Amino acid sequence: MGVDLAEMQHKLKVVITQAAEAGQLESIDWTTYPLPQHLVQAERDAMALPGGAQNAHSANLNASTSYLSNGAYLPERIHKRKNEDLEVTATEEDAVTPSWKKHNTNKGSMEDRMTGKSKKHDKKQKKQDAFRANGLGTNADVLEKRKQRFGYTIEKSYFRLTAPPAPDTVRPLPVLEKSLNHIRGKWKNEHNYNYACDQLKSMRQDLTVQHIQNELTVKVYESHARIALEMKDLGEYNQCQTQLRALYKLNIAGKSEEFTAYRILYTVYTCNRTDMNNLLADLTLADKQKPAVQHALQVRSALASGNYHKFFRLYLDAPFMGAYLLDMIIQRERIAAMAAICKAYKPDVSLCFIAQELAFFGDVDAPDPDAGLRQCLEFLCQHGGEPFVERKEDGDIRFQTGKAIAVFEGQRAAAFRSVDIKGQI
Amino acid sequence: MDALWDDFATAQNTCNGYLLATTISPEPPATDPARLYNFSRWTNAYSVQTDLRYKLQYNPSVHLEKKEAGAWLEVFTAFYTFTGKLLAAEEAQTAGKNREADWSSVYESWKEVLSTVYRGYSGNVFEAWTIPCLYVVGKYLRIFAIKADEQAAASQRDSGLAFGGLQEEDACSAASKNEKLEDAARQINRIFALCLGDRSPLEDSRKWALYYTANLLFKTYFRLNSIPLSKNILRSLRASATDTPPLSAFPKAHQVTFKYYSGVIAFLEEDYALAEDFLMSAYQTCDRRATRNVEMILMYLIPTKLLTAHRLPTQQLLQQSPTLDRLFSPLCTAIKRADLRAFNAALEAGEDEFVKRRIYLTLERGRDILLRNLFRKVFLAGGFEAPKEGEGEGGIAAAVRRTRIPVREIAAALRMAGATEIEDGEGGVDGDEVECLVANAIYKNFMKGYIARDRGIVVLSKAGAFPGTGL
Repeated sequence: MGVDLAEMQHKLKVVITQAAEAGQLESIDWTTYPLPQHLVQAERDAMALPGGAQNAHSANLNASTSYLSNGAYLPERIHKRKNEDLEVTATEEDAVTPSWKKHNTNKGSMEDRMTGKSKKHDKKQKKQDAFRANGLGTNADVLEKRKQRFGYTIEKSYFRLTAPPAPDTVRPLPVLEKSLNHIRGKWKNEHNYNYACDQLKSMRQDLTVQHIQNELTVKVYESHARIALEMKDLGEYNQCQTQLRALYKLNIAGKSEEFTAYRILYTVYTCNRTDMNNLLADLTLADKQKPAVQHALQVRSALASGNYHKFFRLYLDAPFMGAYLLDMIIQRERIAAMAAICKAYKPDVSLCFIAQELAFFGDVDAPDPDAGLRQCLEFLCQHGGEPFVERKEDGDIRFQTGKAIAVFEGQRAAAFRSVDIKGQI
Repeated sequence: MDALWDDFATAQNTCNGYLLATTISPEPPATDPARLYNFSRWTNAYSVQTDLRYKLQYNPSVHLEKKEAGAWLEVFTAFYTFTGKLLAAEEAQTAGKNREADWSSVYESWKEVLSTVYRGYSGNVFEAWTIPCLYVVGKYLRIFAIKADEQAAASQRDSGLAFGGLQEEDACSAASKNEKLEDAARQINRIFALCLGDRSPLEDSRKWALYYTANLLFKTYFRLNSIPLSKNILRSLRASATDTPPLSAFPKAHQVTFKYYSGVIAFLEEDYALAEDFLMSAYQTCDRRATRNVEMILMYLIPTKLLTAHRLPTQQLLQQSPTLDRLFSPLCTAIKRADLRAFNAALEAGEDEFVKRRIYLTLERGRDILLRNLFRKVFLAGGFEAPKEGEGEGGIAAAVRRTRIPVREIAAALRMAGATEIEDGEGGVDGDEVECLVANAIYKNFMKGYIARDRGIVVLSKAGAFPGTGL
């Protein structure tokens, strides 16, 4: 036990600020709301348990202090390219039932349909509902209606609006929260990108039309950005990134370190110097201290000075999902490095050296010592280097760099032609 | 009050555009400092039309056609309204009540002046010699827009809105903090189109206002951080180049500014050769007394020269301006001495300012030259080959520099210069990274030669191993 005064006051401040920001100062029943020292205690207890962050989240009830789970930085990455969205608690998933399962189980009796009465009646009822839903009924009434109708429609396809949306098709915040977990869960299990992208887009739309800008908004964009990265859908990724940048600027908590790093890598990929300069101008000193951002900046500076050796080493330990972005540039940087190697080394170098310098290491899972070499050889052949590969009598494979310069110089020019991406802003 | 109308009459009778422009300037001439105040007291909102008509149409010393007098009547009516707003705002500011100074309505009323002037030209009522009036309306529109935006931002801060989530309706509209300036850019663009589209013969063409207006637009776009829009202006100017007077026929002030911005735009697009042309020419044309302008030009010319010609500025040049000296001297010294440690420190120290001026990414490439200098030092330190036997003792010309340099010697030099990144973390040196740096120097033509990896040496060319450095 023992929550000291400073901690309690801090917690109290957080709770009040959040309530004020969410406009709930009036609506929360403060007499029954947990006391700040209890909240702190609950957080601690939750942290002490395994999987602490998630539990802390639920322990916080409607205080919605997800900053704990956001702030929980895992120093050791378990898997290099872990998409953090994949951690959805099982309970959250279960609570979610797809809309089509709940849809109209009793369609009215045969009798009703034959007399045709029910239909008319239904219509009248519907009209009345709509009437009330449009704000003419009491507030609670409307909320109740919306809850009834949309409490479970957590899935919704994206449809590009050309007019203001009908109010009753827009999901309110609590439903959207469920939707996000549902979609994350589905993505984890089924990996259906078209579905996930479609659903996330419709969520983004619902958030936008309701002017919701809070941690959920950030989470939706972050999830979408990660999934898009995983699928190499850079157009969609860029849209999310642009929004995220604006949201972080509003000081809404999120994984800004991770996404700042992505943004740097993305700009490296697009080779847009104006953007890069703006980005550097945007970075604060605090940003630059963060490991992921530092890594991304090192990648940038390595590439700017043509230091391929350093770049390929950085490629190997990219934090978060940075490797997906680096995958987009690695081929082109390999070609560039080959151009330099060909010009500088004479008369030839061993294939081993090239494979190592260009980070061809084969599969991590399959411990085949020659896999890297084969990949490297394949890469060289793909880019017209085949005639310059030579197998020596002692089994050593050499690459005649001196003769291959023209080939790789040409390839390099082609690889660096401006990058054009759909949806680029 | 008579001074204003005297100036107006003189200007009309002698076709003096610049004098005419002073009569509608928000800044009173030095000879008549109370002009705006007097003008606003001279009449009132009720009788302003009558009073102005008396001065413009029935004034014996001014002979204006009816249409022209009508156009000026509109201009001065708008100017009268504007004067009231401006004086009120200035008064509030002098009284220290910054928040009560309504710069937004000053902007709007000045925009109205701009519109009346614009109509005077679009209806072909005002002749081309009066174009300095366009300069004045454009120039001050930009100034008032900036003031209005600053005020809007400040009042948002004061009311605490900036801390809530409310000030930005849409997460995307972060740029709306420059609302007025964006509007100003559109208005100035209208003036630009007005001048560009003029088909009158050159002697009497509004085209003479083209470069001034273009410069105003560049300034505005740069401030708005929407530099790509400047390219549209350049494109329209190029498209109508055949029936526009040559740039050299314009006033020098217009030329220098235009060349400066063209140079900077080329610089940002990495067209350094073009940038060098423009900036060099701007530098040569620029009046040496305009120290700030010289400084601004050099701010981009120095990094450009560093890249195109691998040339560093002289100490003398830098010492002309404390800013340039502070920003560039440490970098240049580090490059000359091939001191990587100092170079990195200087680049980091100046990073914020370099980034703000958009020269960071270019200056960073000074590292290539620094490494070239370092490798050159190693080459020089390597001395000469021992004369081979039988080559004749008296041959002075036979002294040949040692062209085979072990990679480990270069590695040692790099470590001495402070290249911490080549260390492998275990007290040794990552030889592959050293080779990579050398390979880059060779690839970028800073150095001639090749790496013989198996023998662990770098073989430099016997003649001109370091092009452009006398070796």
